[in-house]
Amino acid sequence: MLFNSLTFVVFFAVVVTAYWSIRSWNARKNLLVVASYIFYGAWNPPFAALLFSTTAMDFWLGRQMAKAEGRRSRRAWLVGSVCMNLSMLGFFKYGNFLLQNFQWLLARIGIIYQPPHLDILLPVGISFYTFHSLSYTLDIYRGVLKPTKSLRDFILAVSFFPQLVAGPIVRAGDFLPQLVRPPGLRAGQFLWGLLLMTLGLFEKIVLADTMLSGSADRIFGYAGPLVALDSWLGVMAFAGQIFFDFAGYSTCAIGAALCLGFHLKDNFRFPYAAIGFSDFWRRWHISLSTFLRDYLYIPLGGNQVRPVRAATNLVIVMFLGGLWHGAAWTFVVWGLLHGSYLVVERVVRALFENKEWTNNLATRLFAGFATYAAVCIAWVFFRASDFTIAARMLHGMFGGHAHGDAILSTREMLQITLVTAGMILVHWTLRDSNIETAVMRLPGWIVTTAWALMACAIILTQGSSNAFIYFQF
Amino acid sequence: MPLSTSNFKRRLRLPRLFFRKPTQLESVHGGPPLEYERPIPSIPWRGITVVVVLIVIAVTCAWEFYCRSIGYGPTLNDNEDLWTMARWRVKPESVVIIGDSRAWFDLDLDEVQKGLGKRPIQLAMGGSCVYPVLAELANDENFHGTIICSIVPRLFVAPPGTPPMQNAEKAVRRCHTQTPAQRASQYLAMPLEEHVAFLKQEEVNLEELLKRLPIPNRSYAQVPPRLPPYFGTLDRERRARMIEECARPGSELARTIQQIWLPLFTPPPPPTYIPKEEFGKKMGAAIEARFHDVAAAVQKLRARGGKIVFVRFPHSGGLKALEDRETPRAGIWDRVIKDTGAPGIYYEDYPELSGFNCPEWSHLSAGDSVEFSKRLVPHLRKALQM
Repeated sequence: MLFNSLTFVVFFAVVVTAYWSIRSWNARKNLLVVASYIFYGAWNPPFAALLFSTTAMDFWLGRQMAKAEGRRSRRAWLVGSVCMNLSMLGFFKYGNFLLQNFQWLLARIGIIYQPPHLDILLPVGISFYTFHSLSYTLDIYRGVLKPTKSLRDFILAVSFFPQLVAGPIVRAGDFLPQLVRPPGLRAGQFLWGLLLMTLGLFEKIVLADTMLSGSADRIFGYAGPLVALDSWLGVMAFAGQIFFDFAGYSTCAIGAALCLGFHLKDNFRFPYAAIGFSDFWRRWHISLSTFLRDYLYIPLGGNQVRPVRAATNLVIVMFLGGLWHGAAWTFVVWGLLHGSYLVVERVVRALFENKEWTNNLATRLFAGFATYAAVCIAWVFFRASDFTIAARMLHGMFGGHAHGDAILSTREMLQITLVTAGMILVHWTLRDSNIETAVMRLPGWIVTTAWALMACAIILTQGSSNAFIYFQF
Repeated sequence: MPLSTSNFKRRLRLPRLFFRKPTQLESVHGGPPLEYERPIPSIPWRGITVVVVLIVIAVTCAWEFYCRSIGYGPTLNDNEDLWTMARWRVKPESVVIIGDSRAWFDLDLDEVQKGLGKRPIQLAMGGSCVYPVLAELANDENFHGTIICSIVPRLFVAPPGTPPMQNAEKAVRRCHTQTPAQRASQYLAMPLEEHVAFLKQEEVNLEELLKRLPIPNRSYAQVPPRLPPYFGTLDRERRARMIEECARPGSELARTIQQIWLPLFTPPPPPTYIPKEEFGKKMGAAIEARFHDVAAAVQKLRARGGKIVFVRFPHSGGLKALEDRETPRAGIWDRVIKDTGAPGIYYEDYPELSGFNCPEWSHLSAGDSVEFSKRLVPHLRKALQM
């Protein structure tokens, strides 16, 4: 079920009404479990069974781990959980990719092997719920979480519908404590939740789908050479589209959770105002970057190792982060590019540490602009379906197609420019703040007008239930 | 017991809804302390929400009245979910109409039912290539019914990756992958679309309104031609009917659409990044492949008892001159009939089918479509040996 669909509007209204009408906390939680499975099963009912089996296995493994005595035995249970989750992810998401690469490798040594094409349907949101579930056993192993006694509560923590299919990646350790005591219905919290949902839908339906996606699709789908202006605008359109699409989903999820009395952490914090790439990853898909930091980068040694080893760790983490996004080498290159950005940034920081001029406004603005440009270049690999398209785009962006084609209309160019400029302006304005503070500071009439305008724009746009980009991951 | 004045005071206090200060609890967070709690802005939420709801209702009503005042009426959106609903109604022996918007507007389901004895199922799609749907029906082992297939040459030979192919492929894909949520959304959307005029996904939405802004393009920019505005309605059986305003001879809407068809039906210049000769060869190969694929699909269908008849529907004015020049009968129509061995009805061959005038050059008015269908049915019966 998509947030931007009529089915969800009806579903959410029914769930929220029933949820707040029921007095018993246990009954409310049962209702949320049923609602979450309906929400998920509305895509493909059999996959709800897969979701349940992953959850139940991790629940059991978590209990076994807590009961186990000795580090070795705890580690064995953890390995079991990691293998179970990653093999599931590997089979559904990477099965064909691995086979194709195996075939390619054999061909390099002269063996012709034609693997069968596995007709595997990727369960929607598998990358997200696998990580929700995995965080539980990882945290039990790390000793920061005690296993819950309630299977129902754990099922709800993994499958809570607002964050189930496209994040934020809510760790069981953050969600389970919220299931201990029932939240009260508070008007401010509920209505703020609705406003966030409106904002999220506005970002998705109006800004991502209406203002930017058409241009990005046309540019990346064009088979010929493009002039630099069109190439850059196409990439900027995609940079905006993916932000509004994904941040829109996260904002909707946070809003929907608030309407039900739950608190989810921010997943985006004005990333296009980042100064440097470590800053960017503290602002973009925060739940994934902190997941990779806590469960991969730090166990690998983090910063507490020699610089070369730390740099290698960074690249490994970003390589896996890239692969997490999709089973294609273009995603891997995207991850590696970000890994190398982070390494270069460390070197630059070490070289210019304690230099006074690095803190002046002009340097910060320049660094911010350079970060945005480099992030855009990396987006080329993320969006392009193969390296031929990526190479053609990069060639165009750097003036390689002086006599290339121009395919964007003036209207599209204006849309991309205005939306991107507005987005960057808002990000820079709020980079050290948050949306709650901004809303508190604004006069009531501006909040009212902005909310009404967003709602009217959503109705006017109608939407055609385009899926969110991150569903495919 | 409260005094009457207290009620009065309470009423006086109503506007304070907007300025009500949140309680201490609300301004800190929304509930009991947890490990992580989102801050909730302390602003007068109730008052703001009331005003927002009132504004949204007012704007929506105003927009609906405005859309109706400029000629829009409630109608279903033709999307892949509506098409899927129709596709699922196809039974093994059904009569099915496939093709482009001409079969969609020009065939009256009641008349075809009277003539052929079965209610036809409308699977034609505006601006689409017929091949993906024909192939899908041919590959459906259960189907051995009758197909009435419209041919518009330019759409028939549309190469893979072009909008006519993508439209049809998208619908066919949806029919096999539709989720319960998409199906539910379609059922929820239909009653709304039948009553609200502005709910037109491809017409009165923000994107389309932006497209209509008179902003000149760069002279060398290759911008796709615009699509025609709203000129027909659709019911749950996907029967399309031209609206009165467009059907009126010489109406401004009809004239506008006529001028939109011309660039749409004019072959685009070859791409700059492929040598002309190579492009010509590629297109030729793609067209040959289409003839071959269509013939194979027809053979497959007929092998299990299915029937098919190709129909060329009326078109007129400048569009007919353009089509005759760019895609002459001998080039595509005759070849399809020859390769497939299936019967064909070319409207110009029959005086009783040729006298119709298309108000916007491409489709018949709702009234004429009934008469045309009535006259077409005997030819269909004969071609299908019914």
